[in-house]
Amino acid sequence: MTNVNCDQLIDYLNGTLNDEEQKQFEAHLAECPECREIVDATGELPYLADPVEPNAGMKSRILGTVFDEGEQPASLAEERAKRDSPSPPATMAKRGFRTSKWTPLVAAALLVSLLGNAYAFYELSDQPDAPTAPEVAFETVDLQASETFEGTGTAALVHEEGALNLLVQANQLEPTSGDQVYQVWLLKDGQPIPTGAFTPSQENEGAVFFSLDEDTEGWDTIAVTLEPNRGNETPQGEVVLSAAIDPEA
Amino acid sequence: MENISDALLYERVRGKDKEALEELYDRYEKMLFSYLCKMTGDRDLAEEALQEVFVKVWRGVGSYDEGKGKFVAWLVTMSRNAAVDLIRKQKKPSVPLDEIAEVESTDSSVEETAEWQEKSEQIHQAVRHLSEEQQKMVHLFYFKGYTHETIAEKCGIPLGTVKSRIRLALKKLKTSLQMVQEGGVLDDKREL
Ligand SMILES: [Zn+2]
Repeated sequence: MTNVNCDQLIDYLNGTLNDEEQKQFEAHLAECPECREIVDATGELPYLADPVEPNAGMKSRILGTVFDEGEQPASLAEERAKRDSPSPPATMAKRGFRTSKWTPLVAAALLVSLLGNAYAFYELSDQPDAPTAPEVAFETVDLQASETFEGTGTAALVHEEGALNLLVQANQLEPTSGDQVYQVWLLKDGQPIPTGAFTPSQENEGAVFFSLDEDTEGWDTIAVTLEPNRGNETPQGEVVLSAAIDPEA
Repeated sequence: MENISDALLYERVRGKDKEALEELYDRYEKMLFSYLCKMTGDRDLAEEALQEVFVKVWRGVGSYDEGKGKFVAWLVTMSRNAAVDLIRKQKKPSVPLDEIAEVESTDSSVEETAEWQEKSEQIHQAVRHLSEEQQKMVHLFYFKGYTHETIAEKCGIPLGTVKSRIRLALKKLKTSLQMVQEGGVLDDKREL
């Protein structure tokens, strides 16, 4: 019993279905014993490998990271899954910033630029509102690494009805130690405001999104510094990534 | 905790029960790590991939339910895909087969438990019933870290054909595995 859906099994196993196709296939899987039995059989494939003793200390490292990450704001997808807006960090609240509701259009545009990191944000595209597409100006810039820094990054700025949504994504980051965080800043004439901080994932990636209700500043620069701790109002660490942005955009 | 089903443990994990996650980790650490070592040929990379899998389980990324088949199969799929991504990111050429064999058979290989031995015998037996071409498909897809696109490219076969060949190979694997597990000794000549 093979139907059109059954043909998607390999794409499903390969993780290459888009969100919608994935949902559809999962619905199929629940109804199709043959596909499910094939999936089940793949669960035995690891026994083709020879048994290997785990690395020393591996369990505590992995579980340590797992439980650690789960408590950081990085678990956005989780928060979204509960249909709650994440509560903004203290600095944002104080400044009257908000984490905005993304319209599907904006979310889709951002997702395109996010690619590898998209899973943390994929729930965003589920926002049910946004009846009409608002006016949106969309700018992406590649961040330039400082001489001694190996990482790369991209910033996406979305101006929408006077508000600014900013999304920064970075890769190949050097791991942080202790309280260190990567802090993102927007600057105008050398004056910075903090716009979110992150620590790298195990894949050495990080992302932060931030939004400003009324953006009248005309920012000219975006920068990422490696701060000794969270919550600094002005940069204390070295700039590792930066780029000029168009203040008129 | 030992007698609780995977699915039930997963339910608890969704409720942020750390002990439940630890139990799932204990159940599958060795199996998945062994698999990931074979796939990546690199202990560190294997650990990284395994960590990613459990981070996702904990965060509830791509959540599991029984409609998706067995929990362990879901874990294996996530593990495979995590390793494929890492291998790709590192632009690390996949390790030649003989080299992988070396990694395993020297210091890191351990005594097989009775359970491992039984499972291993079953799957090896099931795989022997696949044609050479089918074995190759399973091998490339599950142990070399190739996506179906890469297989199509490397073997010069259209993508659609690759997909249907992998599917057919896995389907046959399923059938022969079921027969092996049911205790029937397979007649090698038998058409599945
Ligand atoms: Zn099916």
